Amino acid sequence: MYSSDRKEWADLEPVPQDEGPNPVVKIAYSKKFSDVYDYFRALLKKDERSERAFALTADAIDLNAANYTVWHYRRILLQALSKDLRKEMTYITNIIEEQPKNYQVWHHRRMVVEWLNDPTEELAFIAEILSQDAKNYHAWQHRQWVIQEYKLWDNELEFVESLLEDDVRNNSAWNQRHFVISHTTGYSDPAVVDREIQYCLQQIRKAPHNESAWNYLKGILQDHGLSSQPGLLEKVLELKETHCSPYLLAFLFDCYEDALENTKNTEEQERQETLSKALEICELLAQEKDTIRKEYWQFLGRSLQSRHGRSPSEEPPTTFNLQSVSQL
Amino acid sequence: TLLSDREEFEQIDFLKDRHVRFFQRTLQVLPERYASLETTRLSIVFFALSGLDVLGSLDVIDKDLIIEWIYSQQVLPTDDKSNLGRCGFRGSSHIGIPYSTKGPGVLHPYDSGHVAMTYTGLCSLLILGDDLSRVNKQGCLAGLRALQLEDGSFYSVPEGSENDIRFIYCAACICFMLDDWSGMNIQKAIEYIRGSLSYDNGFGQGAGRESHGGWTYCAIASLCLMGRLEEALSPRELDRIRRWCIMRQQSGFHGRPNKPVDTCYSFWVGATLELLGVFRYTNFEKNRNFILSTQDRLVGGFAKWPDSHPDPLHAYFGLCGLSLIGEPNLRKVHPALNITQGAFQHLQQLHQTWRSGCGQQH
Repeated sequence: MYSSDRKEWADLEPVPQDEGPNPVVKIAYSKKFSDVYDYFRALLKKDERSERAFALTADAIDLNAANYTVWHYRRILLQALSKDLRKEMTYITNIIEEQPKNYQVWHHRRMVVEWLNDPTEELAFIAEILSQDAKNYHAWQHRQWVIQEYKLWDNELEFVESLLEDDVRNNSAWNQRHFVISHTTGYSDPAVVDREIQYCLQQIRKAPHNESAWNYLKGILQDHGLSSQPGLLEKVLELKETHCSPYLLAFLFDCYEDALENTKNTEEQERQETLSKALEICELLAQEKDTIRKEYWQFLGRSLQSRHGRSPSEEPPTTFNLQSVSQL
Repeated sequence: TLLSDREEFEQIDFLKDRHVRFFQRTLQVLPERYASLETTRLSIVFFALSGLDVLGSLDVIDKDLIIEWIYSQQVLPTDDKSNLGRCGFRGSSHIGIPYSTKGPGVLHPYDSGHVAMTYTGLCSLLILGDDLSRVNKQGCLAGLRALQLEDGSFYSVPEGSENDIRFIYCAACICFMLDDWSGMNIQKAIEYIRGSLSYDNGFGQGAGRESHGGWTYCAIASLCLMGRLEEALSPRELDRIRRWCIMRQQSGFHGRPNKPVDTCYSFWVGATLELLGVFRYTNFEKNRNFILSTQDRLVGGFAKWPDSHPDPLHAYFGLCGLSLIGEPNLRKVHPALNITQGAFQHLQQLHQTWRSGCGQQH
């Protein structure tokens, strides 16, 4: 049913898209498509605030849900016509189910939740979307916003753990774990840090080849010195025998590097031993365990050697000089 | 196969002519199923033009005609300048403004620029050799200032939208190209960028969010364009970021830990590594093999994954990924501004002209 056939639109002159004499990347629309948007453009020009305009935005969204102007206009109409926002939430839910990676509809949902000042459906809804794609960035972003805005922290750690039960390699879930803890208990309590270390090691034992778990472990400890956590190095060395991975070895290297950087008082003999162990790890990674990054591990070894050993200097990497054309 | 890495490296061939034709067709007409690209068409123009530039094949298109169309997307100030905060470039004519390549602006309740379209519009003009003399710089910069939030991030449009690090990158590119940083509060932008650094040493789209190759590129490239990389991030932080980035290589690159590789990350992560001075330590053969495995041998272009449909974005970033590793017959790409060295040199000449006071400045 084209808008141009209907009496209800007779008063409105449709506005075609004016592409000029030489359109570029022109999209070939069907008559049905053009009709809806020709009337949309006419309504926009008048800034009409009416039921027929509101109804048309749904047709326009159906044809192109990425058109941010349509969504903006729809929001204006929602308010001008005092539309039922709960119905709108249902409408939004349906669209997100069909197009879960569309920026505009997620932003629209956030606006309506704010207007309603009611987040009660959100966590369950987002969990539904995540059950279809547990790493959907839009879903996680919306979830973080809802939780932070409305202080819905209470059950989130439990939710994260259930997702990690499903897939211990879900990097989004690990990130959420960090998000929840850093905004609730924080990581300054040693009991929390201990618990998190144990949790990581447990997950690593179950699935050793998991960058996310190792990134989390390093992430929560790196600013306090990896080498300063008592007993951790020993545990990692044990795991090296049975649950080795490039990430474990990289973590070991980082521990040794931290020891060299941050414990200046140790004896030269011990420092050289630490350096030697670190260089062994680099060789192991470069030659056998992470060969795709061979050049990088060798470079790290050389850098470490030049900073702490008795060898020729390795130049630090040069960041890109924007002014220099000759660099290209 | 039983080929060694080196033999495989040479065997997969790069089908330059197919890619040229892919971009030519992109610039002409797309079928209706591409409707979702309507409001971002100018960025698709950029992918095609910059792609042709990287291929050294801009001669196949009519530059002047495209320049006219791009200028017709500029939202110009009205006579009374009441719409300055809405100036910039549109993605397309979807609002229904009558075609015009010159001012004054037409007042319309819903017409405004989009930060990513202003950015890709300016790049496209540069690639085509235009001197930007018809760009209303005052309008673009006022439009840009109107988009920045208190927390340092940007909206994409003045009516409001989501706000995040992508649009900081667009803003930085615009200021860099116009050689005028009054378009943004750099200090606040830096704070937002720093706030987006994750515990795992990549950057998320904003504070607390999962680190991601695309947002990491936006963070680092923005800081480089601002000339503030080493001011904003300590040497230790930079080393950690290098590590996060270099761990993204699996064959090609992925965007997040434990996600599948995707051609476009060969540029997002590759260019970040280049900006940080360590791209040379990546594995070029495996990267090349993966990118070429996503090449569409029939219609040209590249897809995100092997045996998938190509699209202009992945076609462009696939080429850029190859350019970074020095693929023969591809022009070099400036890793922060994401245009060829030729286009970048043209920009530098324009800057020299403007600074010496010889050129027009709006």
